[in-house]
Amino acid sequence: MLLSRVAENLYWAARYLERAEDTARIVREHTNLIVDLPTRVAVTWEPLLAIIGSRHAFDSRFTTADERSIIRWLVAERDNAGSILCSIESARENLRSSREVMPSDVWQGVNDLYLFVAAHHGDGIARSSRSRFLERVIGDVLAVNGTLTSTMSRDEAFEFLRIGRNLERADMATRVLDVRAGSLMAAVAPEYEDVQWLSVLRSLSGQQMFRRTVRGPVSGESVLQFLLHDRDFPRSVRFTLEQVRRGLRALPRAAHAAETCERAVELLEQVPVTLTGTDLHHWVDELQLTIATVHGAMAETYFVSHTPVR
Amino acid sequence: MAEIRNATGAWDELIDAEGTPRPAATELVAMLRALGDHELVARQDAADLAILTAGITFTVYSDGRGIDRAWPFDVVPRVIDANEWRRTDRGLTQRLRALNLFIDDLYNDQNVVRDGVFPADLLSGSVNFRPQCLGVRPAFGVWAHICGSDLVRDADGTMYVLEDNLRVPSGVSYMLENRHVAKRAFADLFERQSILPVDDYPEALGRLLRSIAPNGPDSDPTVVLLTPGIYNSAYFEHSFLAREIGIDLVEGRDLVVDDDDRMLMRTVAGLRPVDVVYRRIDDLFLDPEVFLPDSTLGVPGLMRAWRAGTVAIANAPGAGVADDKVVYAWVPDLIRYYLGEEPLLANVPTYRCYYPDERDHVLDHLDELVTKPANESGGYGILIGPRATAAELVERRHAIEADPRNWIAQPVVELSTAPTLCSGRLEPRHVDLRPFILSGESSYVTKGGLTRVALRAGSLVVNSSQGGGSKDTWIVDLDDPIPYWSNG
Repeated sequence: MLLSRVAENLYWAARYLERAEDTARIVREHTNLIVDLPTRVAVTWEPLLAIIGSRHAFDSRFTTADERSIIRWLVAERDNAGSILCSIESARENLRSSREVMPSDVWQGVNDLYLFVAAHHGDGIARSSRSRFLERVIGDVLAVNGTLTSTMSRDEAFEFLRIGRNLERADMATRVLDVRAGSLMAAVAPEYEDVQWLSVLRSLSGQQMFRRTVRGPVSGESVLQFLLHDRDFPRSVRFTLEQVRRGLRALPRAAHAAETCERAVELLEQVPVTLTGTDLHHWVDELQLTIATVHGAMAETYFVSHTPVR
Repeated sequence: MAEIRNATGAWDELIDAEGTPRPAATELVAMLRALGDHELVARQDAADLAILTAGITFTVYSDGRGIDRAWPFDVVPRVIDANEWRRTDRGLTQRLRALNLFIDDLYNDQNVVRDGVFPADLLSGSVNFRPQCLGVRPAFGVWAHICGSDLVRDADGTMYVLEDNLRVPSGVSYMLENRHVAKRAFADLFERQSILPVDDYPEALGRLLRSIAPNGPDSDPTVVLLTPGIYNSAYFEHSFLAREIGIDLVEGRDLVVDDDDRMLMRTVAGLRPVDVVYRRIDDLFLDPEVFLPDSTLGVPGLMRAWRAGTVAIANAPGAGVADDKVVYAWVPDLIRYYLGEEPLLANVPTYRCYYPDERDHVLDHLDELVTKPANESGGYGILIGPRATAAELVERRHAIEADPRNWIAQPVVELSTAPTLCSGRLEPRHVDLRPFILSGESSYVTKGGLTRVALRAGSLVVNSSQGGGSKDTWIVDLDDPIPYWSNG
């Protein structure tokens, strides 16, 4: 039977790993987009801050929101708990106190990534070395997830990892949609609209699967449909919630968390894909809050050890 | 071509005074000489990298903050002949049988005191005697289930027991990890000769822990390893062993004892009963209801549950009574008393200032002997006569005269050396050896143990927290040679 404390560590380790991977993807894609677009198109680095949601803390640390400061903040900043550096470090700390429940290759992979990031996080800042650095982070997290999938028993420990990873993934997907899609929807006939929609897909690793699934022209409606509702793409909000649901079915005492998850699924089903910017923002906001209640239910049920002595 | 040198006045584990390999080390020495310094350094680098990547660490403290350091490993193994090891194994087994009988006696009938073998006033003065344990009878009469004894070899080649660690001995995980790394570095030697495997330790430990479950080993007992947590210097080992045995690694806050004196752990499914606790926390922190009241590492009620017999604890609380320096001096007598046998493994000759004739000898030879306070650990208060100033010797004389029973003395033991890679070449460095002994219904001794090495020239300090390193330990069985044709 899995210890509550270990369950919490695993859940957070999975969230932090996912956060590092997703941040790496988003930064990489945004760099590509800015390099691609003509300079007169007003795309700035600031949406990155809005997506990762740490604008306030950033402003208290930096005076200008230029490329270098923003990338440093998201990749290599010790004062930013959500930076790639800190996320990997936190993932490792959480796993360090739960090593006994997982295959040793998983720990080895995370430790290796940690050593790499600790030594080379500076490489993530300069444009010349940025993609190589980010790709290593993405590749290593994928390898860790692959190792988990192919070597770990589907026990309770696995389900806490699964749930943590997918809640983080859902959270990141909704953030990207909120900021990037929101601003595209709000603009009247934005320049290079297609390029920008494709970039939204790429931020969530979805371009190729979108093409195979949708087979039509890229549009706001088709992208939203895909990233919110697609049943087969592992990074759509629908899919991640399905994974959480599946994880909860395997856990004891999951009624409360499962109920919050059902509410999120119900809400998701109501989100229309023909929206203007403000409406989208409103819906996605609501969705994010509901997903956060799933986390709250998990914490309440499993993590805080209020279990009374019989 | 690597040169292997001797240190003056010390026994070397791999070569004799003329530089001829000791029989069990023939293959290794030939290989070291053939490889040369450059290749040895390359293999050392590969080993260091493997240790770093695998996250094999220990924690040191600096500025009140724990720092996770890569485990220091010297790639050159230390070799012991299997015949010598068989004798050592028997000696350690004998020693632990006597020590466990002694502990069980002290907490129950105290015959050893009544029969005048162990002085009553030494018992009452012992800092590790726990009156809270009186009257408890653990399974098989065993209190010290896991023991790590430190062995040293003197200049004439005699192996001595330097001390027994009966509380929470650590190091066995590094013994196991060292073997993994050494196998990579010297794969060919492992194929060519019979080096006894060490990998069965976790299995033996798991079996032992299950065997002491209150309802027996077949009751599918829940066994946990109780750690002080991630900031403890041995946390790596706690995690390693829990993983290898397949038991839960718990902290004090994961456990509760209910009003029926049952121990339970907090799981995602609610509270679940615990049958056996392998504790890696010192006695005084185990249970704030009984020992230090402000300990947050332990479990309130643990002693209640243990005394009620609903949970087994290894090592049993109070087992440490038998590992202080005073008791050490009595171990040969205890072996004779409990087993009617002569000790198979030597103690370092120890003078007990408690007895007037031995005290007089000590006072007459203060400048030749090592004097130690009986109830201090970690090397505190030790005075090495030959290296002491006149003033220190006078001060020590007064201290012994004032409180003789608190002092013991031993001759200086010149630790043996083993060739060790230092700054790119092989240098003789002092080593000791910590084998691990498991006691339950039957007993088990590791094949070798953890060899620790003092990396500074001339130093006798082998602790990893103070610049010590470690080596893989090979028990080589020359009577069971692996035919060359099996090499393929």
